[in-house]
Amino acid sequence: MKNFLKKLIPLAMVVFMVIAISSCGQKNGSSSVDPINYRLKWLFNISSAGDLWADVNGHFQRQGLTVNIKPGGPERDAIRELELGRAHFGVASADQVIRAVSKGSPVVVLVQLFQINPLQWIYRPQHVTIESPEDLTSKNIGITFGGNDETIMRALLSKYQIGENEVNFFSVRYDYTPFYKGDVDLWPIYRNAQAVIIGKRLQEANDPIAFFDPHSAGIRFVANSVVTTQKMLKDHPETVKKFTQALVSAWIEAMDPTNTEKVIEAVHHFDPDTSPEIIVEQLKITRDLTIPFGDFEKGGQFFGKIDLAAWKETENMMLNQQLIHAPVNIEQYLNVWD
Amino acid sequence: MLHRRLYQFFIVYGIGICSLFSIKYILNLSDYVIPSPIEVWLTAVDVFMRYSVNVLDTLSVAIIGHVLSIFMAIVVGIIARLTTGIGTLIKIAAFNIQAYPIVAVAPIIFILLGDGLASRLLIASMICYFPLLLSILGILTQPVSDIEHFFQMTGRMTWQLEVKIRIFENISKLIMVITGSATLAMVGTIVAEFIAANAGIGYTIRIALYQSDLAKILVALFIIGISTSIYLVCLEWMGHMLQKKWEG
Repeated sequence: MKNFLKKLIPLAMVVFMVIAISSCGQKNGSSSVDPINYRLKWLFNISSAGDLWADVNGHFQRQGLTVNIKPGGPERDAIRELELGRAHFGVASADQVIRAVSKGSPVVVLVQLFQINPLQWIYRPQHVTIESPEDLTSKNIGITFGGNDETIMRALLSKYQIGENEVNFFSVRYDYTPFYKGDVDLWPIYRNAQAVIIGKRLQEANDPIAFFDPHSAGIRFVANSVVTTQKMLKDHPETVKKFTQALVSAWIEAMDPTNTEKVIEAVHHFDPDTSPEIIVEQLKITRDLTIPFGDFEKGGQFFGKIDLAAWKETENMMLNQQLIHAPVNIEQYLNVWD
Repeated sequence: MLHRRLYQFFIVYGIGICSLFSIKYILNLSDYVIPSPIEVWLTAVDVFMRYSVNVLDTLSVAIIGHVLSIFMAIVVGIIARLTTGIGTLIKIAAFNIQAYPIVAVAPIIFILLGDGLASRLLIASMICYFPLLLSILGILTQPVSDIEHFFQMTGRMTWQLEVKIRIFENISKLIMVITGSATLAMVGTIVAEFIAANAGIGYTIRIALYQSDLAKILVALFIIGISTSIYLVCLEWMGHMLQKKWEG
């Protein structure tokens, strides 16, 4: 039996490793990158409007690229997929990027999709008055422990010198019932996505809603960005450049108010569960969050700009909350295009 | 018995973690994708006590859920062994309900019962109850002809006696089924905590996932494995004692 085990254990290890290694894609840069795999952060929805627009309108094809856009999800991590060679480009939040960099991941940020983080807190003004961050005192605040909303809220409380014992945190998951029932005063929500759906539902029930925006309270925590690996950038700079140009031009077109109807159609095609009436509202808000530089005519060209100060602030927040153990000098990992 | 179980667990866990580290170094992956052995060790030192308490919390819910499931499965199994309409209905219902993925049903349970103990208990029970019920049904509906025939012929057969005979004759199988379903109870509780609860090791794993911290997950899996092994050994020991007592 012992001899059998002695033979079986190494064999099991070899089989496991062969399966695991063979399931990893080709490491980026080792040969050609056709087709290109682009892993989003979340499922197809309004936050990927420009990505979907690029696909539908042939932006990648015009650059001579074949791109497979793959939806993300709660268990998907684009940075891991980049390293494992299963994707060439991906979308990740700033906290994911900073965590990855702090652990030696060779990741590079190409485009910052959102200039303002869409994460806000929804509340009912009939029950709660929030005119300034100080009004958060003694409120029941929903946060996802371990999520970036926790980091943002803790940074906000610290900035306004509100002790964490002066508020009540409520652990938030998928179910909104505690908010509907009034057990929780403020609930974290993506302003351009679920907020429109939940808000419509509550307004139909004559229950007015309002939003508390950490960005307007001076907390600049970067949201989604397009990333790739340093190796990809070094070995295929042309491909990276073409991909980035195609994507940015597609996002600018998608955010252009003159294309509203076609964008709604494109997003609804990929996200059939969200009605066009909802998408039109979501699109307006997404435009304000991605191009907050005045009107589109003036600000559109700045889409994708990497906000270095906001990235440094995000790194500092994570450092202060010991989510990373040492500074990572994030500016070294931000690829600023001319 | 205990040392054998633990020894088996250490082999399986060791193979798994060594393979992970091998892949990490062969593919030159960063600590973000697969943590280094040192990071796993340091994380273990940091979180071992806290995670052990969380695992005990999960295990206690799993045990209660498991006991409830065994009780319910035996009661329902006794009723369903009848070849009447009720018996058939219970069998069909058990087969159908087992086919539902609990992950899809769980959010509804959390909306109805909240994210406290009741939801975790119910989901743990549901995950181990139906397979347990089907196995117990299989045992209780199978006549032990040579023994039962005697009591039937002498007119002394009662339903209690019939159940006793079938349990006694299949006691080894029954103990094995109950022991096997213990892992399902543990899995069920962790799934429940992972989806929506606000306590237990499943909830802790969820937070670690949000933080992309695989080292914490590896430590959690280690403690879960040890705890489950100990629980299985306890069940096997109790089954062994029961068997010895019954057989005189």
